[in-house]
Amino acid sequence: MPAVLNLVLSATMTVDLPATAVTESVRPQVPARRRAWLQGLRNWAAGWLLAWVVPLLLLGLWALSSHHEWIALQVLPSPLQVWTTLVDLGRSGELWDNLQISAVRVLYGFGIGASVGLALGVGLGLSRSFNAYVFPLFKAISQVPVIGWLPLLMLLVGIDEALKFLLIAKAALVPVAVNTCQGIQGVANAHVEVAKVFRFTRWQLLSKVVFPAATAQIWNGLRYGFTHAWLALVVVELLASSEGIGFMIVYGRQLFQLDIVLAAVVVVGVLGYLIDKLLGAAESHLLRWRKPGL
Amino acid sequence: MNKRIALWALALSLLGAALAQAQDAKKETPAVIRIGVATGGVGNPIRHGGTSTALAYADKAIEEEFRKDGTKVEWIFFKGAGPAVNEALVNKQLDLAWQGDLPSIVHRAAGVKTKIIAGSGVRNGLYLGVPADSDIRRIEDLRGKKVSVFKGTNLHLAAVRALADHGLKEKDVKLINLDPAASAAALVSKDIDASFDYVGLFNLRDKGLAKIIWSAHEDNYKYTRQTVLLTTDEFAAKHPKAVERVVKVVVKYAHKYSDENRRAELFEAWGKAEYPEKIWREDFIGQPLRVRLSPLLDPFLVARYKDAANEAYDLKLTRAKPEIDSWFDRSYLNAALKELKLEGYWPAYAANGQQVGR
Amino acid sequence: MFHLNLKSLRGFVLPAASLLLWWLAVELKWSTSPILVSPVAVWNRAVAQVVSGDLWTALSASLWRDAQGFVIGTLAGLLFGSLLGTSRWFEKLLGPSFHTLKQISLFAWIPLLSVWFGLGDSAKIAFIAMAAFFPVVLNTFEGFRSVPRELIEVARVFAFSPLQLWRRVVLPAAAPSIFTGIHLSLIYTWLATLGAEYLLVSGKGIGNTLIDGREHFWMDLVLFGVLVIGAVGYALNHALSLIEKRLLAWRQKTIAQY
Repeated sequence: MPAVLNLVLSATMTVDLPATAVTESVRPQVPARRRAWLQGLRNWAAGWLLAWVVPLLLLGLWALSSHHEWIALQVLPSPLQVWTTLVDLGRSGELWDNLQISAVRVLYGFGIGASVGLALGVGLGLSRSFNAYVFPLFKAISQVPVIGWLPLLMLLVGIDEALKFLLIAKAALVPVAVNTCQGIQGVANAHVEVAKVFRFTRWQLLSKVVFPAATAQIWNGLRYGFTHAWLALVVVELLASSEGIGFMIVYGRQLFQLDIVLAAVVVVGVLGYLIDKLLGAAESHLLRWRKPGL
Repeated sequence: MNKRIALWALALSLLGAALAQAQDAKKETPAVIRIGVATGGVGNPIRHGGTSTALAYADKAIEEEFRKDGTKVEWIFFKGAGPAVNEALVNKQLDLAWQGDLPSIVHRAAGVKTKIIAGSGVRNGLYLGVPADSDIRRIEDLRGKKVSVFKGTNLHLAAVRALADHGLKEKDVKLINLDPAASAAALVSKDIDASFDYVGLFNLRDKGLAKIIWSAHEDNYKYTRQTVLLTTDEFAAKHPKAVERVVKVVVKYAHKYSDENRRAELFEAWGKAEYPEKIWREDFIGQPLRVRLSPLLDPFLVARYKDAANEAYDLKLTRAKPEIDSWFDRSYLNAALKELKLEGYWPAYAANGQQVGR
Repeated sequence: MFHLNLKSLRGFVLPAASLLLWWLAVELKWSTSPILVSPVAVWNRAVAQVVSGDLWTALSASLWRDAQGFVIGTLAGLLFGSLLGTSRWFEKLLGPSFHTLKQISLFAWIPLLSVWFGLGDSAKIAFIAMAAFFPVVLNTFEGFRSVPRELIEVARVFAFSPLQLWRRVVLPAAAPSIFTGIHLSLIYTWLATLGAEYLLVSGKGIGNTLIDGREHFWMDLVLFGVLVIGAVGYALNHALSLIEKRLLAWRQKTIAQY
């Protein structure tokens, strides 16, 4: 039994081995730098192509299904229909207006929530007494998901922009604070001890040991915070809005025009993807010193 | 030996299955009837009023009708109103539906196959409410203001019609989608400037929290809303007799309460549901019960639906103009009227709102 | 002994102070808004709800949905995440698609699920499962990817068989991340349960209790609902933390002495 398992595991796990002697013997004339660049290009192209295999397959399946009406067209409009709707919405400007409103809301809300979250997280992570006083209450409040606060906030501040900002801020705050705190607390004792041996000042300890070690977690928190903020935005727009991307989704749903819904969902996805890619790029830049094992 | 037992078992089970099939074929009544209602109702168990169907629901009359057949009647209330009913219809989770004009037209335009079998809640009013201290006096004043309406329901279409006729496009007004409860809350807290809604606004007005500045009844019958009872094509094909019996029950109740002498009793019955009786009463001022509770699928109703289909298309609420005439299936209603000897009891109206001769 | 007890009470200072402030606000009528209800009213409402059994009906319905969605989503997520984290091919083929789908804000799926599943609990459970899926995949993937290369190399030096590598190096290194994923999944599924009850309004649940409260302007019911939701969230979190502590006891989890 273990033998079979070994085989299966070794088949699925790969480790990067440096490419050395092999390429040297094949192309002795081409300069090393050009070779490396070509190799990099090839890798990138291969990766890009592979990434599209599954999506294109699914798209094909979708088109086929709507062509043969395996699923009722009211339930799953054809991809062409969704595309036309998307183009129409873009052309009429409706898409951009709504997008702009949503984007502004989420940026403001996230900005507020993330800043407060960072501050709170740092405080909770670094100071034991602050932690002891504030953490229980913070934990209690964070137990209630963003959604749970919605009716309460609706009663308190109504359904105007204030509701949206507050909810989005709250949504971003918790993951950011929690991850920041955990990141700071999760710095291995060993590292801190070494710093103590080297007699780092408090500032040196923080800037050279704690924050770099915690960065991965903190950044994770920021990314989660943004996802959460985006989530809260969609919910609040689904429930109480006259404009924005969530509103477009509701409109489509109420009027049974699923192509509008799908178009809006695609836009939401694309936007989220772009921003996450941005955050991801920033993360890799910040964490470029880390080496992956597998 | 084992083989023989197996063979006998197979034969017996096949026989059993065949018998069961034969039984099924003979069965005319369905095991369960699922009726979707395009409103949330209140309370638990749910109370609902305002139409003849609601009366039948409150008295459990349909359950009573099918009791001897052992058919279960499931009433499903949708807080999401008409649009939510559409979602259930598309997933074939309903057999009958009580739904307003716009969402019905929307699902017909989307290709869902249903039949309109009886009127239940025709000429329902539409009202425009504003906060008590608001300075909005007419529909024209709504330009640029935040107005709530439950989108996708017949409130939506009627509201947009009213706006259009007073020179306002949907874009000239910030139309927010809110269900009746959220709408009331928003009106009170002044988060919105106005709200197109039904009798719930009277509730707020009586508490001094809002005032009503426009009524469809007073303006033009064009702005009233229609609600009908529908059945899916499949259910009608499988159990036509059952559909007829349901219609018969609804017609019975419509008849009972079309009697003007029962006016007080009617509102009292509805008063036990979402709103107190004086509120229902107000929506019926000056209107004979025989007109409002009429189940007839007369030319007036057909014309209203045709109008609605056209306007929904023009206002870009739907993408196709479904064919309306063949949607109405009067066979069940006629059979019920014949059986109850009520032909000619209710006045029929022509497309222009004038009464047709008998 | 006395010293220790006092310290552990520090956590209660802020909540107690806020409660006092709230009570004062009502007593001294700092605000005349009808929405401001006293803590006593909330307590009364709580008692009424418990006694009438309403709380139990609503809560059990919500929790049952939550459990179903959580189990489905987490299991699927663990499988998908491990594949993503360990197999280069899998990651190349499905990684980008997953990361894109992940970007589609969860609640945007609700109208689609509503139409695809119609009435009943299936739409809600599907939604909750989705909510569980994404964080689990992400964190499992992260866990496997961040196994330090040095550890793998050492394992190779010791000629570990793949099974040993897996059991002794990879899984323990990835475990904290995986647990974070499950923890997040728990949080997200509770969130999704509530959200589903708001937006796919059919059936009973604690979310519906909140909606009722808001509809009727019953602030005490809303606050009561919020408290219950928080309590449940806390209970779930706490239970998982205990399990996590047990299973990850070997890890040098520290609160560094700053």
